[in-house]
Amino acid sequence: MLSIKNLHASVEGEEILKGINLEIKAGEVHAIMGPNGSGKSTLSQVLAGNETFEVTQGEISLNGENLLDLETEERAREGIFLAFQYPVEIPGVSNLQFLRTAVNAMRTHRGEPEMNAAEFMKLAKEVSKQVDLDPAFLKRGVNEGFSGGEKKRNEILQALLLQPKLAILDETDSGLDIDALQVVSKGVNALRAEDRAILMVTHYQRLLNHIVPDHVHVLAGGRIVKSGGRELALELEERGYGWLGVKDEEATPSAAS
Amino acid sequence: MKPAPTISSAFLEPGGHSLPEPLLELRKQRGTALVDMPLPTRKTENWKYSSRHLKLTDELATTLPATGKDGYSLSIPGYRVVFHNGVMIPEASDFPDLDGIRIQRFADLDDDEAAALAERLDNTLDTRAVQMARLNSARFEDGLYIQLDKEAVLDQPLFIVHEVTGTASGSAYPRIYVDAARHSQITVVEEYLSSGEEPVMVDTVTEFVLADGAQVTNVRLVMEGENVQHVGATGVRQAANSRFESHCVGFGGPLRRHDLQVRLEGEGGECKLNGVVVTQGKQHYDNHTSIEHVAAHCDSEETYRNIAADESHAVFNGRIHIHEDAQKSNANMNNKNLLLSTGAEIDTKPELEIYADDVKCAHGATIGQLDRVSLFYLVSRGIGRREANTLLTMAFINELVEQIPVQAVKDAAQLRLNEFFDQTFQEA
Repeated sequence: MLSIKNLHASVEGEEILKGINLEIKAGEVHAIMGPNGSGKSTLSQVLAGNETFEVTQGEISLNGENLLDLETEERAREGIFLAFQYPVEIPGVSNLQFLRTAVNAMRTHRGEPEMNAAEFMKLAKEVSKQVDLDPAFLKRGVNEGFSGGEKKRNEILQALLLQPKLAILDETDSGLDIDALQVVSKGVNALRAEDRAILMVTHYQRLLNHIVPDHVHVLAGGRIVKSGGRELALELEERGYGWLGVKDEEATPSAAS
Repeated sequence: MKPAPTISSAFLEPGGHSLPEPLLELRKQRGTALVDMPLPTRKTENWKYSSRHLKLTDELATTLPATGKDGYSLSIPGYRVVFHNGVMIPEASDFPDLDGIRIQRFADLDDDEAAALAERLDNTLDTRAVQMARLNSARFEDGLYIQLDKEAVLDQPLFIVHEVTGTASGSAYPRIYVDAARHSQITVVEEYLSSGEEPVMVDTVTEFVLADGAQVTNVRLVMEGENVQHVGATGVRQAANSRFESHCVGFGGPLRRHDLQVRLEGEGGECKLNGVVVTQGKQHYDNHTSIEHVAAHCDSEETYRNIAADESHAVFNGRIHIHEDAQKSNANMNNKNLLLSTGAEIDTKPELEIYADDVKCAHGATIGQLDRVSLFYLVSRGIGRREANTLLTMAFINELVEQIPVQAVKDAAQLRLNEFFDQTFQEA
C-alpha cells in the first residue's frame, strides 16, 4: 500500500531524513519508534504533505500513485490521514462544521452526495461515543480549550469519520493518562481493517501493549536502523536504545523533532 | 505656503426646495458657513490616509435626481423606508402608524415640527472632526425624522434603504434623525446600495438622541459599488441608563469613510460598537470612531475587525476620551486585523485620553495573516484550499457576524462575503 524509497527531507536546509525505506501492506500495523530528534515526526509530516519540509530525494507512493505530486488535501482525499501530535486549536470554526466540511470534501471526491447537517450530526454523535467524547465538544471551536486527552480523542474521531487507507498516528499516546490511553487505543483498534494500514509513531512502547503492531522499526538519525516484530518493542523497553548504538536524547527537549 | 484647497463653489448651489421653510433656512445657513471650508488633506490628521481618495470633482456637485421607482428591486419584509438618491420614496416604503412612534420624511413636516427639528439637528457630531457632515447639512434634500414617545417600542427592525443610481455623475445627502424618548426602543437598519456606473458620492449623516433608559440598535450595511465614494457620519448622544448598540458591516470601494461618535452623557449609559470591514482590489475603507465618557459609571465596548485582500487598504482609528468627572468608567476597545496578501495595508490607531483616575480602560490591536499551521491542519483533512481559507477568515469575524441582531442583514452580508471569498481564495 505505502512504499517509501530512499526518502530524504530537510527543513531550512538541514537534512532530517537521510534515506528512509519502508514498505507497508494493507491490513498491517507498523510502529516506528526512536528517540526524540530522530525524525519520527518529520516523517509523519512529510507523508501528510507539510510544505515546511522539503523532500530532496526519494519516492513515496500510495497504491502505486506518486504522493509527492499531490497537495496535502489531495493526499488526504486519496486516503492519507495524520493524527497530529499537537492538534491545532481553531477558535471560531466549530468542530462540527470542520468535521462535516472534511467528510463532505471526501464524499465529493468519491462522487458521493454530501451529507446534510442532520445526517451528519447523527453520525458524528455516534462516533463521538466510540471515543468517549461528549457530543458537546462538537459545538465548540476546533480543539478550542480541549484537554490533551480530548484533543487526541478528537483526532481519532476524525480518523473514524474519514475512514482513511493509511492512518498515521504521531505520538498519539503522549500526554494521555491510562484511561484516555485505553479509549484512544480502542478507537485505533476499531480502525484496523483488511484494506487499511496503520503507522504508529511513538517514543514509548506502552501504546503497543494496547495496539499490537505487526512490525516495529527503529528510527535514529534520520534512518531506519533496525526492523523487527513486536518483540523488538519489548526489547527496546527493557534495554533502551543504547544497544543499537543510538543515543536517547529524551532528556534534552530542545532536540524534539 | 500653498493655501489648503477649499470646497468648490459648485457644491454650494441652492436646492432643498421641497423642504419646509425652517429646514431650508438651516440648510442655507450651513451652506454660507461652508464657503471657503478647507478640504481635508494629507496633513489633516483624521484624513491622513484617506484624503487622496476623496475626489470632490465638480461633476459630483450636482444633486442626483430622485426618480423613484427605477433602479432597485427590494423584497424586504417588515418595516422599510426607501431613499433614492437622498430623497424618500413613499410608494416604495412601508411602515406602521403606531401609537407613540412617528416616522416622517422631512418634506412632510409642518413648520412647527420642522422648526423643532432644525433646533435639534447638528447637535451630536463634532463637526470640526467630521468635515463632510457639514456638507451634508448644507445639501440634504430630504430626510427621515423618527420620534419615539416615552416607552414606545417598535416591534420590528426598521429598514432604511439608501439606494443611489449612478446613471450620471452627482451626489446624494441622506439624513436621518432619531429621537428616542425615555425607555423607548428601536432597531434601525441602514442599508447602502447602488446601481449604475458613473462616479457618484454619498454623504450621509445619521443622528441618534437617546433619553434616559432608551435602547437603540443601529445596523449599518455598506455595499455600494465601485463607482461610489461613501462618506458617512453617525452621531449619538446618550442620557442616563440608555443603551446604544451599533453593528457596522462594510465592503470596500474607491472611498469608504465612516465616523461614529458616541457621547455617554448620563450615568449608567452603555454602548457597544461592533464593526467588520472587508476590502479587496484597490479599495479603501476608513473607520474613525470616538467614544466620549462624559458622565461617570458608563460602559463602552468596541470590537472592530478589518480584512484586507489584494492591494486594498483599511484604516481604524479608535478614540476613547474619558472626561475628568467620568469616574468608574469602563471602556474596552479591541481591533484585530487580517492581511490576506502582502500588497494589502492596514493602519490601526487607538487614541486614549483619560482624565479621570478611577477607571478601567483596556485596548488592544493586532495585525496578522492567516495561520499556516491551522491551514495545514484543515487541508490535511481533505478540505480544499479555498474552503479552508474561507473557514479561517470567517472564524476571524464570525463572532461579530453572529451578533448582528437582524437575520436579513446577516444573510445579505454572508452572500457578499461569499463573493469576496470566491474572488480572493483559489484552489491550489
